[in-house]
Amino acid sequence: MELNANAFGRNARKALLDKTLQGALERTTGRFQAHRDAAVAAFPEFEAARERASRIKLDVLDHLDTYLARFIEEAEKRGAIVHVARDAAQAREIAARIARDEGVTLAVKSKSMASEEISLNEALQGAGVTVVESDLGEYIIQLAGETPSHIIAPAVHKTREQISRLFERHLGEPPTDSIPELVGMARKHLRAKFLSAGMGVSGGNFLVADTGSVVLVTNEGNGRMGTILPRVHLAVVGIEKVIPRMADLPTFLRLLPRSASGQAISSYVSVVTGTRRAGDPEGPDRTHILLLDCGRSAILEGKYREILKCVRCAACLNVCPVYQSVGGHAYGWVYSGPIGAVLTPLLVGLPEASALPDASTLCGACADVCPVKIPLPDFLLELRSDARDQGLKTPGEIAAMKGYAGVMKRAGLLEAIERIGGVLGQLFTKGKGIGGLPYPLSGWTERRDFPVPASLPFRKQWKIKRGARD
Amino acid sequence: MVNERESLFRRLSAACGGHGAPPGERLPAEAPVAPEVDPLALFAKTFAAADGVLLRGPVEKAVSDLGELLRAEGVTALFFPEDDAAAREIAEALVPFGPFSLTTGAEVRDGSAAVTAGFRTAEAAIAETGTIVETSAGGRTLLPGLISDVHVSIVPAASVVARMEEALAAFTADPPRNLSFLSGPSRTGDIEQTLTIGAHGPRKAIALLLG
Repeated sequence: MELNANAFGRNARKALLDKTLQGALERTTGRFQAHRDAAVAAFPEFEAARERASRIKLDVLDHLDTYLARFIEEAEKRGAIVHVARDAAQAREIAARIARDEGVTLAVKSKSMASEEISLNEALQGAGVTVVESDLGEYIIQLAGETPSHIIAPAVHKTREQISRLFERHLGEPPTDSIPELVGMARKHLRAKFLSAGMGVSGGNFLVADTGSVVLVTNEGNGRMGTILPRVHLAVVGIEKVIPRMADLPTFLRLLPRSASGQAISSYVSVVTGTRRAGDPEGPDRTHILLLDCGRSAILEGKYREILKCVRCAACLNVCPVYQSVGGHAYGWVYSGPIGAVLTPLLVGLPEASALPDASTLCGACADVCPVKIPLPDFLLELRSDARDQGLKTPGEIAAMKGYAGVMKRAGLLEAIERIGGVLGQLFTKGKGIGGLPYPLSGWTERRDFPVPASLPFRKQWKIKRGARD
Repeated sequence: MVNERESLFRRLSAACGGHGAPPGERLPAEAPVAPEVDPLALFAKTFAAADGVLLRGPVEKAVSDLGELLRAEGVTALFFPEDDAAAREIAEALVPFGPFSLTTGAEVRDGSAAVTAGFRTAEAAIAETGTIVETSAGGRTLLPGLISDVHVSIVPAASVVARMEEALAAFTADPPRNLSFLSGPSRTGDIEQTLTIGAHGPRKAIALLLG
């Protein structure tokens, strides 16, 4: 996907003015959050499972070489063909070669964020393959020529009216405002594709080392269809998705759907291992597994390695006040919300995405919900500090922060400023809020008023209140 | 590509190196076992929570109830795996209950326009999640739960297990190509986050608990 992360400020402004998007975000993030909270409350084992999942993932990070080697060995033993790509360009080359060698002209694809990282669809189209997205949300945005705006709900920014118009234009369907009818139309058109496609393309939620299995979690059943019906299956998966044993899978299955959509389990979990066995009536004749490094081994080396524990549930997006306000597209690449603000700079390089770690209030809600206990706020802070060390902050910002630190370290100075600020503030604004400040402070006041300093500083009020109580 | 693989493992070994404990050493022990439950009672609850319809009790009554459910869905064609005697028996017993004709998975796959019900005996069912387990082990077909409009699972009571671990353990030594957990009907929330049943898979999931 084209990278546009450093335009976060501009993208966010655009998003805040987009009324349709604002309505969709309000509807969605609140609902996901409520469902997630209810599911977690109804599952007393949640905390124990979370701790367990985090420890399993840490063990994997310590021994990714061992577990990945085991995965490859077991998968190949059962007939899968495993490919390894260092970067996006190499991954595209391999995918295109697979499609050409297998003589594929039509591919059905289920949702995969990893495939977005490498712009897989363009590579396959370049090899003469028509790629049809089969996840309903992805299908809708493919028809619209857009990119996903939420990890598990890619078309959250589209209304039923917009979708009906898309189906009218691209599928020749009559207009409707009924959601079940719209789903039925997509079902009919995509069923025909599933039955005629030569290749099913999937991502992978987990790679099981001790069996060589790829695990897919879906609700619609498209992942299942695409891995059972076409004669070729291509799975594109990041190397960090490995878990040690099949026996570890239930722990993750208890966490992922609850964190993502608030379901006890998703409708479909497909565990696919190797290729079709002799005597199997269905299943692909050939299974290709394309493992992506694409920056992951470099992350594994450094202080941000725990970000590789992520299972892509999107719970951190739904609770994030910044994501709730601007949606996914503002983040300018594949991953959005707190996970995107950390992962994107690490995968594409901090200079290319240094605006993203600043796109956070550091409220900590993301760390509270993360099912594998990634310290997201710590990483956001650390990345800001890295950005400064790499000379990615403006001299003005550095000077302002130095000044701020200087004042905060001197109680007397702080109090003096608070008093003067309080008097001046009341005098000039009549308590209404400060707006329209000149550059560079206009960055603050352009879209929001700065609160008027209180006439009595906090510490003064504290003293008075405490005195009254004593 | 062998070189690319070698170079990946060189990078990984360098990045992983020196982390002390051998693989698995720091893994937590087996998952804590949930409190003792009656798997059948729990399955009835969780399958319903996953929007599935559970039928149990005397077979005659269950079959007549099933006939009514299928007529309400507009089903006209029934299919089942050739080698699945229990599924065949139920499907054949249903014929007098409606305008039902018997067909095959291959015919349905090749584009029969009829509304179909696919019958299949489940390998196992999981009480914890309300899940039907189906696999391709032993050359079994997955079409009834895949391309039908209504999926009817025959679930022998003895095959209901409490937790996911138990269901997976049977297939860890020699996993089949396809192992599926099916929990309720196919669904999507992709349009305005409104739960809608019947995206790509069956619109209705029915389980017939026998024995």
